[in-house]
Amino acid sequence: MVVFNEILAAVPLVFTVEVFVAMIVGTAIGIAIGALPGLSATMGIAVLIPVTFSMSPLTALGMIAGIYNGAMYGGSIPAILLRIPGTPAGIATVFDGYPMAQQGRARLALDISLASSSIGSLCSAVALLLLAPPLAMVALKFGPADYFWLAVFGLTTIAVLMSGSPVKGLLSACFGLVVGMIGIDVINGQPRFTFDIPELRGGVHIIVLLTGLYAIPPAIDLALGKLAIDGSKLNISGKPEKFAWASLIPVWMKSSVIGIVIGIIPALGGNVAALLAWNEQQRSAKDSSRYGKGAPEGVAAAECANNADTAATLIPALTLGVPGNAVAAVILGALLVHGLRPGPELFTANSQIVYGFMLTMLVTAGLMFVIGRLGARLYVHVLRLPSALLAPMIICMTVIGVYSVHNSMFEVGLMLGFGCIGFAMERMSIPTAPAVLAVILGPMAEEALRRALLISRGDLFYLVSSPISWVLLTLIGIAIVTPVWRRLRPQVASPSQP
Amino acid sequence: MKTIMSLIAGVAVSVLAVTPVWADYPERPIKMIVAYSAGGGTDIAARTLSQYIEKYLGGTIVVENKAGAGGEIGFGALANADPDGYTIGFINSPNVLTIPIERETSYTLDDLAPVANVIYDPGAFSVRADSEIETLADLVEFAKKNPGEVTYGTTGVGSDDHLAALAFQRQAGIEMTHIPFKGNVDVRAAVLGGHVMLASMNVSQTIADHREGTMRLFGQMSNKRWDGADEIPTFKEQGFDIIMGSDRGMAAPAGIDPAVLAKLSDAVGKAMADPEFLAKAKAQNLPITFMSAEEFAAHLVKLNASYQKLWDENPWSGAK
Repeated sequence: MVVFNEILAAVPLVFTVEVFVAMIVGTAIGIAIGALPGLSATMGIAVLIPVTFSMSPLTALGMIAGIYNGAMYGGSIPAILLRIPGTPAGIATVFDGYPMAQQGRARLALDISLASSSIGSLCSAVALLLLAPPLAMVALKFGPADYFWLAVFGLTTIAVLMSGSPVKGLLSACFGLVVGMIGIDVINGQPRFTFDIPELRGGVHIIVLLTGLYAIPPAIDLALGKLAIDGSKLNISGKPEKFAWASLIPVWMKSSVIGIVIGIIPALGGNVAALLAWNEQQRSAKDSSRYGKGAPEGVAAAECANNADTAATLIPALTLGVPGNAVAAVILGALLVHGLRPGPELFTANSQIVYGFMLTMLVTAGLMFVIGRLGARLYVHVLRLPSALLAPMIICMTVIGVYSVHNSMFEVGLMLGFGCIGFAMERMSIPTAPAVLAVILGPMAEEALRRALLISRGDLFYLVSSPISWVLLTLIGIAIVTPVWRRLRPQVASPSQP
Repeated sequence: MKTIMSLIAGVAVSVLAVTPVWADYPERPIKMIVAYSAGGGTDIAARTLSQYIEKYLGGTIVVENKAGAGGEIGFGALANADPDGYTIGFINSPNVLTIPIERETSYTLDDLAPVANVIYDPGAFSVRADSEIETLADLVEFAKKNPGEVTYGTTGVGSDDHLAALAFQRQAGIEMTHIPFKGNVDVRAAVLGGHVMLASMNVSQTIADHREGTMRLFGQMSNKRWDGADEIPTFKEQGFDIIMGSDRGMAAPAGIDPAVLAKLSDAVGKAMADPEFLAKAKAQNLPITFMSAEEFAAHLVKLNASYQKLWDENPWSGAK
């Protein structure tokens, strides 16, 4: 009951003019970012974090919540109209959304997408509000050994589940592990891989890395004209039609649960949630042949699931410091910039901010529906923005933004360097997300292990002495066995995608 | 050619620099370097205080954050700035002293001219409320019976918390196991969760938990009890002569005109006596302690000697 009082206490803070305006602006920008192919929620938040430095923490977080939710929906606009997913999470929306648009039902597809996205976000935010506080209380019971296994679990899921090509996924994760080693070793105070550069002693700031990896490559792509869009194909002239919205309720329920569960598991993102939900919808349908050919339920399942993933990824991030995906990692960075450290203390000392943030995730889900409705036509025009204008804008904002983190030109250079690496990685289709998660999870695993061994004075049995450790070890076992089991029994593998 | 030109320029500048009437100081905005990120504890304290220094100094102060490497980047920038009185900064002990002891740096204590001390946050020991340890004597007794069994959490290798615990171990003749964490939030969680026995954490960070009854604070390392925690006995009262903690004071680059230094120090003193500032400091739970330029300089020299001695006997950082 204490939790409900805390939530109620945060309500007035969320409905101040300042925070509300920030949420509206964030959501509006988020949808636009999502709609632009190549730009993702991660990039949008990373670029805009420095803008939020001067704001109060809750205002900043409200804006971030808006961008996060908005971008997840925005990705469906080009997915439906142009067959190009605006964000990776929009991929499953293409399957049924684009055929619908070709049948002249583009407007209905967009409406379904918007409604499903809002409902997914709402469910996810409720899950966050209900699950995070109890988990935060349990988090106090997590000792160094448990944190070690938690980080190992995160690293395992990255390695096993994240990439279609495990070798490329591992390569990216190893890059992240190496970057994570830079800086002063917390346990013995010795500098590692700093090359006598004082700026590196504190390690690579997560915002510097994220901005480099996520904002620069799309900007280069835009500048090269790679993401140019043929504006003449944009057509949402479809006539309004009657639609039995109630028929989507079971779809929404199922997809929301899938999205939330996927969100909580580290390393799985909205794209996985959307694909799984779409597959499940097709598998369980009476007439599965309609899917992939313009079934409204397919759009609803995909969009609802990728939005249900949003707030859920924040559950492990806020309570344990383990981000569910790259967006959650940037949000962790934003929290740190505002002096908020994830963990149980966040829920006591900064309860109003953290509950306020969760509420903004809930409120922006609703705002998204209103803004998406009012601005439907406008957002289609966002797709016509000349890329020659966008690329320099993004580069300028990232440079100013990264400079303002520590007033350091060195970090700007570092960010641009990471940008080039990120661009090269994308060219070789090496995923960047494993690198980002490894930067956070690698040092966490190392420090926790060394701390555990210090406490136990070298006794390895300490690592398996708590029930939490055993639960995590079991999860690690399941994560490793799953792909093997799937390979051995191909008949239960997920149905093929179109 | 270039050298000659710069020589001429240098001479010209120094001639110009000698002439100003210091009575007019400050004639332009003063830059205040804070070696930690915006929004952090030092930054908030600096920004709060700077408004009141402006009031008594009669000029504007612009805070500039130069964070990184535990403060080294900001301290180095301050020490190597032009000592014209227009660059001042916050220095935090023990970092400002221990970093040059631990490694090669772009500055030493001699490159800094202390202006005044602002904050002294005494170190303190605390345990979870259900622990059997209630006094320092209990702790020493337990540690003597079980050498190495007492685990203590700190905010890192070479932090004031760590050095304080090292000094205590030496004085009490006991052995404890150091568990470094990244911040006081983590130390607190580890002690509350029962993973680490003892927290070596500043008194201002622990007093709230003590009063809530979740943790027991049983000693603060100050000369006399801090007003904000006057129910907590000092280490001295319990028979251990340990005065350690973290200072946040102000300094200018060495070589600053003594008249300017005096003017600055005086303004800081007046600002810290301003009732409005005192009210704000209380609201932010800042343990403020003013020291004049001479007192602060003497204090830093003494601290530096004790850290150097600790290091020479047994370096606290480095691979073991």
